[in-house]
Amino acid sequence: MNIDEIAIYPGCSLETSSSHYLQSIRTVFSVLQIPFREIVDWNCCGATSVKSIDQHLNLLLSHKNLALAEKQGIRELVVPCASCYFRLTGAEYELNNNEKLLEQINSESDLPYRGEVRVRNILDFFVNVAGLELIKKNVKNPLNGLTVACYYGCLNTRVPLEKAFDTREYPMSMDNIVKALGAGVVNWSYKTDCCGASLFVTVGSIAEKLVGKVLKDASLRGVDCITVSCPMCQTNLDTKQGSVRKKYSIDHPLPVTFITQLMGLAFGCSPGDLGFGKNFVSLGTEFKARFFSSS
Amino acid sequence: MTELQKMKRELYRETSLCYQCGKCSSGCPVVEEMDIFPHLIIHLVSLGMEDQVLNNETPWICASCYACAVKCPNDIDIPGIMNRIKEMARENGIKPKRNDIYKFHKTFTEDVLRRGKVHEFRIMMEYNMRLGKPFKNAMLGPKMLLKNKLHFRPPKEVKGFRKWIKKFNQKTEK
Repeated sequence: MNIDEIAIYPGCSLETSSSHYLQSIRTVFSVLQIPFREIVDWNCCGATSVKSIDQHLNLLLSHKNLALAEKQGIRELVVPCASCYFRLTGAEYELNNNEKLLEQINSESDLPYRGEVRVRNILDFFVNVAGLELIKKNVKNPLNGLTVACYYGCLNTRVPLEKAFDTREYPMSMDNIVKALGAGVVNWSYKTDCCGASLFVTVGSIAEKLVGKVLKDASLRGVDCITVSCPMCQTNLDTKQGSVRKKYSIDHPLPVTFITQLMGLAFGCSPGDLGFGKNFVSLGTEFKARFFSSS
Repeated sequence: MTELQKMKRELYRETSLCYQCGKCSSGCPVVEEMDIFPHLIIHLVSLGMEDQVLNNETPWICASCYACAVKCPNDIDIPGIMNRIKEMARENGIKPKRNDIYKFHKTFTEDVLRRGKVHEFRIMMEYNMRLGKPFKNAMLGPKMLLKNKLHFRPPKEVKGFRKWIKKFNQKTEK
């Protein structure tokens, strides 16, 4: 694959509430010497909200992004946000498998799309395009002694089977990245459980219950941190952790990092370049002493 | 055939594959908050009794996590059906049973249409105003603002977005 044909689709939250995710991706890409290119003039994927209101509009929004990517010569669109990934890959699948629909949307939207863009999840990209070897080679500060719970959430793996890059019920791609960084992973049954997504805003009590279950299980397994690749998961597990912990009697704070933040630490990048200042639950003191002192 | 008839036919085609194993309901993380189980929604729709499901909380509570769809032995897109039920209900002039959740999705969608990208801060404020609960999630706002995770200023309009979206506006305002 031509490296110039790879670009990132950041999505709305990576520009605001989860800008630390984007920052750590940039940093990690530069270490891995992968050129950081963004698709130009992208628009919102619509998330679950547009789908709840107008399904046709939802498809139009993703079609526009795919058509733009194609026009810009992008063949691999790497998507870090699980929700954006789910919409875009779903649209790619739907349009590629339904010629009539593709024709109809093309003419309706006035944007020709030929189906030449492949949407890729960022975990898929790290494991299957960049490769674990390249990741291992760049580890300067192995995360030995750290135990991590990898939390994938719902939408990273629940794409149409033909598009899946990992198993849906018990994925391992993120675990394999974490292992390549020198840290240990745990077997747990909450890998792909739901964090509540937008219920976090609308019916907080439901989301808190779901988040509570995930945090409780992780804490009982004695992990040092939870790592995620979805901005929604990070926000939900991190932001209200104080009150959730009290409610579900979880004694220790559990830092929730993005996978790229962990990668960056192992690559010897400074915490500032990885946006750690934006995580609400900070890493434990022992951990901090090890990784943050040099910077 | 009208839009509604077409929609009903498509719904029948998909839901009639269901043999009521109940895996969707047993795997649903928010089932205890629902007023009718997901597999019963599918059953009623397959019997042509859509009218019975248009006025339920379940489609609104659904977090669209797809745990059910992944478990379904017949590959039925259950969250997709929930979404179509929500659309059908509104097309039939039925007030959403969970207006609080509907208002969020509506606020979000309208914001996307404004400039092609969402302005999270505005969505939160506008949503609270529409609910008439100005202090909902009030503890979060300042925390997020302090960490620079919410921005007062909206993002720039995506180039040409408003012009592009104009073509479809009639449909989305329904």
